[in-house]
Amino acid sequence: MDKQILIALGRTCGSGGHVIAERIAEHFGISLYDKNILKHIADENNSDYEELVKYDEKKRNIFLSRKYNEHNASMEDVLAQMQADFIKEKAASGESFVVVGRCADVALHGNENLITIFVNAEDDARIKRIMTADKLSEKEAKVFIEKKDKQRRNYHDSHGVEGWGDATTYDICISSSYFGIEETADFLCAYIEKRMAKLK
Amino acid sequence: MTAAQIIAVSIFLVMFALMVLDKIEKQYVTLTAGALTLIFVFGVAMRSIDAVVKTLNYKAIFTLNFWYSTQSEESSGINWATIIFLCGMMIMVEGMAHAGFFRWLCLRLAKLVNYKPIPLFITFMVMASVLSMFIDSITVILFLAAVTVELSKLLKLNPVPMILSEIFCANLGGSATMCGDPPNIIIGTGLGYSFFDFLKNTGVIAGICLIVVVIYFYLVYHKQLAPKDGETVDLSAIPDPKSAISSTREFVISSVIFGIAVILLVSHSATHLTVAFIGTFIAIITLATSGKNIGKVLKGVDWKTLAFFIGLFIVVGGLEQTGVLTAIAGVIEKICGGNVYLMVAIIIWLSAFASAFVDNIPFAATMLPVIKGLAGASGSPALVHCLAWTLSMGTDIGGSATPIGASANVVGTAVAAKNGHPIGWGKYCKTAAPATIIVVAISMLIIFLRYCGGITI
Repeated sequence: MDKQILIALGRTCGSGGHVIAERIAEHFGISLYDKNILKHIADENNSDYEELVKYDEKKRNIFLSRKYNEHNASMEDVLAQMQADFIKEKAASGESFVVVGRCADVALHGNENLITIFVNAEDDARIKRIMTADKLSEKEAKVFIEKKDKQRRNYHDSHGVEGWGDATTYDICISSSYFGIEETADFLCAYIEKRMAKLK
Repeated sequence: MTAAQIIAVSIFLVMFALMVLDKIEKQYVTLTAGALTLIFVFGVAMRSIDAVVKTLNYKAIFTLNFWYSTQSEESSGINWATIIFLCGMMIMVEGMAHAGFFRWLCLRLAKLVNYKPIPLFITFMVMASVLSMFIDSITVILFLAAVTVELSKLLKLNPVPMILSEIFCANLGGSATMCGDPPNIIIGTGLGYSFFDFLKNTGVIAGICLIVVVIYFYLVYHKQLAPKDGETVDLSAIPDPKSAISSTREFVISSVIFGIAVILLVSHSATHLTVAFIGTFIAIITLATSGKNIGKVLKGVDWKTLAFFIGLFIVVGGLEQTGVLTAIAGVIEKICGGNVYLMVAIIIWLSAFASAFVDNIPFAATMLPVIKGLAGASGSPALVHCLAWTLSMGTDIGGSATPIGASANVVGTAVAAKNGHPIGWGKYCKTAAPATIIVVAISMLIIFLRYCGGITI
């Protein structure tokens, strides 16, 4: 690929956003960064990956953590910053990639090669998807989705700018309910190709 | 309750809540609360210029006693001696840090023990304690934790056990002297104590506790620090201690200034030079020898914390002048019913518990007038001493129990987090909370045995 392309993809829980991100990465032959960023951080620091996962995409609890000047002991904040640094470093190296979540739209804000996408789906479709994927009852799936979405919104809005899932925050917001995962991914790939053609 | 008391308590509670919420920088919170106290408590409710003057306490700076004192003198309102001393020490520490003193010391000691994990672990614990007797524990942990992470990477060790024990020992070391921890400076300058007064009292307690704590942390962590079978470590990759020194001239000068500061502090009860004088003198010689780095040294001073202190002292002054703290002292006195053992137990455990969750500085500043009130009612100087050491040990040690209890804990866990080693509440409290309970219990027993026997209320 001669032009660098950076895709920040946000998603609601159960919308299939992650699978769509995988398809996009596959289509363009570029890297996909998601939770695997934590693996890179753990390897680099000789630390425990499972420990880091506990703090991934979470908002700092103001009652359980304190700051002292520039020193912030909140692992949620520190991990968010480490992931943002990782994403920025990769972007600065000229690599093309897709990032799922992790406030990548905020970390890469202002980069002319950035395309921001948000994937949603109808509630019924999301619940069905989570029931199948995680083997949960309808009630459990509903609770899980609500919790996950709240967590992602809090994370995004506390580590960047408010507006997780809002149309004004992204270049394109799409529901995967109408075309299904495959066609939505194809549609987004076509959109990205058009955008790339416009890039200098 | 009078209107002035209600306003003073409301301002204090809102200030505390805002500090806990941590949304606004703490110095803005305390300075605004301080301004509101001056306007609404002293101005509108009390209409007392005298209360304003007493709380601002600026006249004290222009007296000889403030700089050279042959007799111990209590202070109230803004504790300028604490602020000036802290400022002086911050300037000195900034000069030392700039010269590479702390990093050199950590690497030198690591080299002395041949980078062997267990001796390194024990040496760093003792060093954290000893350095924190003279330098604020935040600075000590900032450098020690950074070197610990660096060495751990090269020695293939988990830095978390070392950082947790260093934090605890730094807080413990800080309790040993008057300048080791801000609550001690507040208590010392507020009650007119000397460096040696602390060393002879809290210093002895901290020394005994340090032995217990080193054994405790060794028993808890020695398995995690044992070298793994077949793992080889490349010692040649470890930086040479000399590489830490940015300039030999600056290094020598900053070491000499540190030595002078230690001598002045240790001898100040004999020389009658107050901590305000020592802080000012140390700041002047550090700045005078900083050359072109003077701007960097001044920039490195934590002005925010100094501003935070000024606001805090005014708010506490509001509680003091309106008689709220005397009322609290009265309640404690009533509960204790003249039993000094119960009084010590309540103050030490209450201070420790509160300091584990909220900043120990406002707690100590608030409790100091309360213990003055308790002792004042009985007219017993022995009770003042006893309660002062009780408050000191409770606030200094209690902060070690949780990751948010003291600023050194925040800095230490932040350094670990930045290097990919999260230390959550569970991991932190699992070892630090029992250690805190052990040390507070030992301190209480020593205070019972050493001070409570001869006191009658």
